[in-house]
Amino acid sequence: MSYMRRVVITGMGALSALGATTHDLWNGLLANRSGVRRVQRLVDSGINVTTGGEVDAVSPQDLDRDHVIANRAIDEALAESKRDAAECGFIWSTGLDTFQMGTGGFVHRSAGRCFSNLASRFTGPRRMIAAACASGTQAIGEAFRLIQNGHADACVAGGSSVMLTPFYLIGFAGLQAVAIDNGDEPSMACRPFDKRRKGFALADGAGAVVLETHESALERGAPVFAEVIGFGVSQDAFDLNRPCDDGAGAELCMRRALADAAVSSEEIDAVNAHATATYSGDLAEAAALRKVFAERWQSLPVSGSKGAIGHAMAAAGVLEAIVAAQTCATGIVPPTVNLHHVDEGCELDHVIGDPRDVNAKTVLSVSFGMGGQNAGLILRRVSHGLHG
Amino acid sequence: MVYLVAATQESDLARVREEKPELWRQVRRYNQPIQLALAAADEVMKFAQDASTAAVISLAPCQPGSADLYRWGSVVTTGMASGSLGNMRMNPTQTLHAVDNLAMSAFAIAHQNHAYCLGLGGAAGQAWCGLEAVVERLDAGFEEEALLMAGDQDAAEDGAAGLGVALLFSVHARPTSARLVSIVRNRQISDVKPHAANGLAGMWSSIAQCSRGPMSHVVPAEQTDGFSGVTVNLEVS
Repeated sequence: MSYMRRVVITGMGALSALGATTHDLWNGLLANRSGVRRVQRLVDSGINVTTGGEVDAVSPQDLDRDHVIANRAIDEALAESKRDAAECGFIWSTGLDTFQMGTGGFVHRSAGRCFSNLASRFTGPRRMIAAACASGTQAIGEAFRLIQNGHADACVAGGSSVMLTPFYLIGFAGLQAVAIDNGDEPSMACRPFDKRRKGFALADGAGAVVLETHESALERGAPVFAEVIGFGVSQDAFDLNRPCDDGAGAELCMRRALADAAVSSEEIDAVNAHATATYSGDLAEAAALRKVFAERWQSLPVSGSKGAIGHAMAAAGVLEAIVAAQTCATGIVPPTVNLHHVDEGCELDHVIGDPRDVNAKTVLSVSFGMGGQNAGLILRRVSHGLHG
Repeated sequence: MVYLVAATQESDLARVREEKPELWRQVRRYNQPIQLALAAADEVMKFAQDASTAAVISLAPCQPGSADLYRWGSVVTTGMASGSLGNMRMNPTQTLHAVDNLAMSAFAIAHQNHAYCLGLGGAAGQAWCGLEAVVERLDAGFEEEALLMAGDQDAAEDGAAGLGVALLFSVHARPTSARLVSIVRNRQISDVKPHAANGLAGMWSSIAQCSRGPMSHVVPAEQTDGFSGVTVNLEVS
């Protein structure tokens, strides 16, 4: 392989339960605040899952919500990077088809058509990623690889999901993956790694990053938030609904990302965990992290974002990568919101309560999809930093 | 060098059920496009050197779901409007029918494949992205073999006819194989008929009809992504 170009993040956009910008996301996490709350239209429907991470910036009545949410994140990222969509490839996940109620009755929204509409303003490559909860992370990784190997010069990568519909809430409740109502404070529905965890809170959201070569970022004087230095994927090949108990699939993707980045586990300063707050998922992830980081797991800061924003599925990985990039840029690891009593088997150096300034420069961000697709990214601070 | 070394299509699930009971036991819970993709993949991987280490690139259906899922979606969505959902439960099997990466996961479990995997979503023309990804992975030396599989149906709501396709690629030529020379794109706006499997089946049909030597498969405009024309250049041996 003759091409091995350096790839950096020069723009980021986020819509989440914490707000309509990356600034809102980051500041909400640093404040240890949860955006998950009771959603009135779900209460009105009578189902037993009424909490979620809703994006206020776009009306839930808007049948184009899937497009609008995605485009807002994309536009924020492009504006920050000072790039035009027509210069970029588009590696994106629009998640799953959705079923909504329109004025004329039942409306089926195709994720594929949503992708094609979003992709129309980009030049190739245009790839729609489908890796369940790992989609956003894999989208960034695939864009990284395309640029690194000279198949594209710049890409917008990320994902968007509209999941706060009864269809998915009931469906995931049937899989015992979402936290059903039990009288708790709604903002505490999702408690990653905590003894009282009972599943995630579904969420809407979108996250986008602009990736380009380090060389072009320097030439353009673009802001550089972090460099992507490694990417790894794996399959559990174990079960459709739950991870391997020992986290073997997750461990494999982490090790592949480290090998791809040519860094040792000692060089990782912090981890942005998948941290779904499902019983088996958190145990498997913690087990994998303890194996990969061997002697260091008791002193390696680990943080997860889903306690604050819920699980935005196709957008989750990119929202978390944005948090990881902010950690690279600032050195600060935000806390895992709603983690108070670490469960047996989930022991790690969790960041609890207050953010921790550890001058983190190299961060691992991981996502694990339903069905067993795992993806990991390694991001690193670029020496000339946030302001070019 | 990247060679297409084997290809299969499947459209008859009754035959799969009758002739391959073990495979049917594995796939019976899934929706039609996934069953067809997995049946095709099961057949083509008989030609693989090692099914557990091949890269797996899987196309989600453009018409996902199943008739059961659509009926259920309608019941839930209508029930929400009337506030009558109560403690409704969803059959977990139907939840599976909504999952876009199901074929990839099921394949991995069946073949104990922990290798690189790429699920591409159900948008028009993603088959050619999948083909490009195969070339990128094998040319870069990441893997020696790659599976590209797809399953789709004419419509999900009524269980209309479906098609599964699986193509096996290798860095090693076989006595009968087709070398992938290049995949060329040009700007071309067109109307599309999104279907994950039809395009790959069409390409395979072109190759099968070709005598030895160079050939070009010009992808019909309706099988592209609507933004770019695609020509696949091959050398058939």
